[in-house]
Amino acid sequence: MGTYILKRLMIFPVTLFGITLITFFVMKLAPGNPVATKMQAAQGLQSEALSGEVYEQTLKLYGLKVDLPKSYENFIAWSTKIIHGRDSKESPPFTRKALYEIGQATFQYITWLKGLAQLNFGSSLKDFRPVWDKIKEALPITLILNLISLFIVYFVSIPMGAYSALKRGGLWDQTTMILMFFLYSLPSFWIATLLLVYFAEGDFLGWFPLGGLTSDGAEVLPWFQQLGDFLWHLVLPVIAMVYGSFAFLSRFSRSVVLESLHEDFVRTARAKGLNKSAALWKHAFRHSLIPLITIMGTLLPALLGGSVIIEQIFNIPGMGRLAFESVLARDYPTIMAIATLSAFLTLVSLLLSDLSYAWVDPRVKLEQKSL
Amino acid sequence: MKRFLLKSLSLIFLVNLLACPAPVKQDPYTLNYHIGAEPDTLNRLTSTDAYSSTINSYIFDSLLERDNKTLDWIPKLAHSWEISEDKLQYTFWLREDVYWHDGKKFTADDVIYTFEKIQDPKVNTPHTRVYYQDVDRVEKIDDFTVRFTYKKPYFKALGILAGIPIVPKHIFETDQDFNNHTAGRKPIGNGPYRFVEWKTGKHIVLVRNEDYWDTDHLPEIKKIVFKIIADDTLALKKLKKGELDYAGLTPIAWEKQTNSEKFNRDFVKHKYYSMVYRYIGWNLRKPFFSDKRVRQALTHLTNRQGILEKLEFGLGKITTGPLWPLGDFYNHQLKPREFNIKKAIELLEEAGWVDSNGNGIRDKDGVEFEFTFLIPSGRDFYEKLATILKKDLEKAGISMKIENMEWSIFVQKLHTREFDAVSLAWSGGGFDEDPYQIWHSSQAESGSNFIGFKNPEADYLLEVARTTFNKEERVGLYRLFHEIIYEEQPYTFLYTGMSLVARHRRFHNVHVYKGGLDIREWTLEE
Amino acid sequence: MKLSFRNILKSLWQRKLPRLSLILLGLLGLMAINASWLASSTPLYAVYQDKTYFPILREIWPLNHLDLYPELQSIEWNNLDKKSLILPLIPYSPDDYDLDAILEAPSLKHPLGTDDQGRDLLSRIIHGSKISLSVGFIAVGIYVSIGLLLGALAGYFGGKTDFLLSRLIEIVICFPTFFLILTLVGVLERSLFYIMLAIGLTGWTGIARLVRGEFLKLKNQDFMTAARTLGLSDTRLIFYHLLPNSLAPVLVSATFGMASAILIESSLSFLGFGVPPPTPSWGQLLSSARGFMDMAWWLALFPGLAIFLSITTLNLLGEGLRDVLDPKLKRV
Repeated sequence: MGTYILKRLMIFPVTLFGITLITFFVMKLAPGNPVATKMQAAQGLQSEALSGEVYEQTLKLYGLKVDLPKSYENFIAWSTKIIHGRDSKESPPFTRKALYEIGQATFQYITWLKGLAQLNFGSSLKDFRPVWDKIKEALPITLILNLISLFIVYFVSIPMGAYSALKRGGLWDQTTMILMFFLYSLPSFWIATLLLVYFAEGDFLGWFPLGGLTSDGAEVLPWFQQLGDFLWHLVLPVIAMVYGSFAFLSRFSRSVVLESLHEDFVRTARAKGLNKSAALWKHAFRHSLIPLITIMGTLLPALLGGSVIIEQIFNIPGMGRLAFESVLARDYPTIMAIATLSAFLTLVSLLLSDLSYAWVDPRVKLEQKSL
Repeated sequence: MKRFLLKSLSLIFLVNLLACPAPVKQDPYTLNYHIGAEPDTLNRLTSTDAYSSTINSYIFDSLLERDNKTLDWIPKLAHSWEISEDKLQYTFWLREDVYWHDGKKFTADDVIYTFEKIQDPKVNTPHTRVYYQDVDRVEKIDDFTVRFTYKKPYFKALGILAGIPIVPKHIFETDQDFNNHTAGRKPIGNGPYRFVEWKTGKHIVLVRNEDYWDTDHLPEIKKIVFKIIADDTLALKKLKKGELDYAGLTPIAWEKQTNSEKFNRDFVKHKYYSMVYRYIGWNLRKPFFSDKRVRQALTHLTNRQGILEKLEFGLGKITTGPLWPLGDFYNHQLKPREFNIKKAIELLEEAGWVDSNGNGIRDKDGVEFEFTFLIPSGRDFYEKLATILKKDLEKAGISMKIENMEWSIFVQKLHTREFDAVSLAWSGGGFDEDPYQIWHSSQAESGSNFIGFKNPEADYLLEVARTTFNKEERVGLYRLFHEIIYEEQPYTFLYTGMSLVARHRRFHNVHVYKGGLDIREWTLEE
Repeated sequence: MKLSFRNILKSLWQRKLPRLSLILLGLLGLMAINASWLASSTPLYAVYQDKTYFPILREIWPLNHLDLYPELQSIEWNNLDKKSLILPLIPYSPDDYDLDAILEAPSLKHPLGTDDQGRDLLSRIIHGSKISLSVGFIAVGIYVSIGLLLGALAGYFGGKTDFLLSRLIEIVICFPTFFLILTLVGVLERSLFYIMLAIGLTGWTGIARLVRGEFLKLKNQDFMTAARTLGLSDTRLIFYHLLPNSLAPVLVSATFGMASAILIESSLSFLGFGVPPPTPSWGQLLSSARGFMDMAWWLALFPGLAIFLSITTLNLLGEGLRDVLDPKLKRV
């Protein structure tokens, strides 16, 4: 066990490094760059041109163009000569261009890594604020939204699935299954929009606020009213987030409970005269908690990522929207920070779920479960 | 366990019951203003988006301002100004009673500092820098007098200098880096409103500056809340629900979604021509578009009337050239080419594009008339335009592929000139129009003339116009220029759209000027 | 029971819900395949200048590449005598715009109404089924193949191979899927195929883990030991013995995967990254309806129903498959 954990921990940074490396290069590969994007701001290009010189200056300012070390320059020249022959000075040949770009990306990546080593994610290319500030604003919002959703999903699905397992094939089992699948099949942006139209707009029922997280002037209210106001704003987005997730978890808990109902010890208990539901609660359910808890691990990263679509529709400034906007603006430092954070969290949760699996069920051989 | 959960649940509901019926009282002196995106920053020099300049226009005053009615320059921070004989020197005398919102006096040093920062390559303000490239130097004559010297005469110089985005020297001149200076998140200005608060993703709040120097023009609205709502559909809903007092409308919202009695009881709608014109640009470097007859034919194939009437509900004006149809320079003699497929086919055949191999698509010299139409993604109008154009071109034997690109890629494609045809909008140069940047051949390689339009006559007219200070003469030059463009059809000009806004009825003294509405003059009583 | 395609189908057919979903899926498939002649403004049959034509053949894949009847290229069928034509069931092509019929409510002329450019919604939904279903099938096809291959390799060979492939899986899982899709769609072209590819390239990890797990389980079972002592080659062992035995869960997961691929496509369309216009996809129809919710309910309702129906169908089928294929649950 100890060696296993040690091994996993040693791989951890290597994997993380791999992820950041790939992210960085894919990001650089994506066409477009923040300078051109910003320069010709969104609502139609400005009539004034952007001269080449100013453009170059700005690239440097943004750190999107670094001075390559002399040795690397020599390396480019040398390889170009080898591949293209001596007189390739005129139009820059492909090799030179490719090597130059690779060099740029590599050295920029190294700069980024150096920053990361000091836990410095740099500042956003979009508004020049420290990336960490932006994440600090968005993360709590997404976390709260997702934790509430997760809680509701668990709270509803697990008893429902367990009960279905108990009454397998019965009316309840059938109807809930179909209902859950119906819900799961409804595209969330559709439902979110309908919710807004029917429950917030006011033409039909204006019960809930139209997006956002707090009412205007709510700051002056006493804390419990502020809390209420906040929760009131969360109702619709939370509904839009959870309704589709019941299906997965309730089916999962149904099958887990079904499985454990057939485990020998539960059968023995029943043979000894315990009735079915007692057997379920006392033995089967406890036993099946294990996989239900471990699966939570895999849901963890989603907590951080947030849902772009829900946040977009309900005008919630969370992580999903931050990520989406950063991608659109080619805000490299922000993208990298979010990618790194979410990769880190995913890795941790994968590790935790494996470990907890082994911990609660010693029969699991860790070497096999090394995923 | 169960009981505990029930309890906690009912607690949540209880809290909700307590909270909901506590509506926050609306203050009539507060204006809730919709903006469609979060500004990157409120640092006047580094910001690039339209919303930050809207907000900053309330926080900061400029040297001179245009009179809403006459459009003449009137004094603001500068009480008077002088232009030298040779049109190279511009002297401004500043008011001595203007203070920044933190109480420090506004002086010539602030102007000089701003100009230095614009020229500083470390400051991320390339979009401003290009405007001031022709300024040779700026001098401080005394604490309240500055003189700018231009390298060469330019008729727009006064307007450019009058609009220099002045920033407070004493705030920015610290150890902090200019670009991510904290003042970008909480600006200190000298205008009629002062900055209060910025909540990311929610709002930016300004309140009236009670110490405003221009007491005659102290606005009546005490507080402006700029609400950030990215989604237009959501914004319209919020407007209808009364959470916004001032918002832009889409044509369909204007025409169909804001006609209820309730809406009109609360709101008034205004429309005025924007200075934006939409167009289709033909990349003249491509074989299909090198012949002007083909370009004329393409204009005949664009159902502008139908699109404007039916899709935009007639809220706009079809244009024939790059100048503002409501301005003085537009040549009204030129009539828009009509939607006429037959005529287009004639022109195409005249130009040698015939279907010689019988595959249904025209060709010439072995090149099939098949091109790609580049549009920015996620914008409804361009997608509609593209689908309609595609269908009509098919009828004339031209095959068009639609390629919609995310904005940053789109811009890059324009930059590298990798496109066949493209549709977009230009926001015009205000009341002093100068189409030079878009049409002069010197801008074809790296400037805004990305379609590669090169015409020596047009070049000449544009160059002469730049140094012509007499407006009447410039009108003549630009009308000639307009004629060339009309004949050459490097763009198929679509139309100049209308700005559509709705505002709450409780405001009075609302006037619609050529340049739009001026919130600073609104009152609550009649 | 031997696990053959026929047997699976047979036992699915014996159950109520799976049977229903098989029928529905079949119908959807038929609609997608036959879309080009179900809804089009090109006549099925026409007499033009005393000659008989079947103009629709020009539109039907793969005949559309053959340039049949080039003389018909720029005919406006609307202008011809209606008596000499037989038009398809829905006589509108998905991109036939009609600026005089904008946002019309459902009527006999347009059974599901028209959109904001006067295009027939039913025709667009029928043609949209091509896009949505092919995204489902092909994207999942791509990721199932990748997942099967890598999962099989990792599970079978174990050791270093397993270690490396597991790290790869881990990296892909951690990689922000959405960003990868955006980038791929950005770097490459905005086209249907690349959207499918992007979904495929990001979705395979689940299958790979599944197959790897199955392989690990099966590897040490008696029949494998027997096969190995017979001296069968690795390829043979993998493809003839192990893979067929681990296909059951993959099949289930792939069916669910199709449903979610359709959802991903519609979400991409919602964010403006779907197939380029004028090609209709259900997601794109739905997202463009958002602005007209209060005045054109049909625009949001029908495409929504189409997505809903196909996804429910696929999910119910997946659930049915799981019941059929999971031997553990059969004991009850």
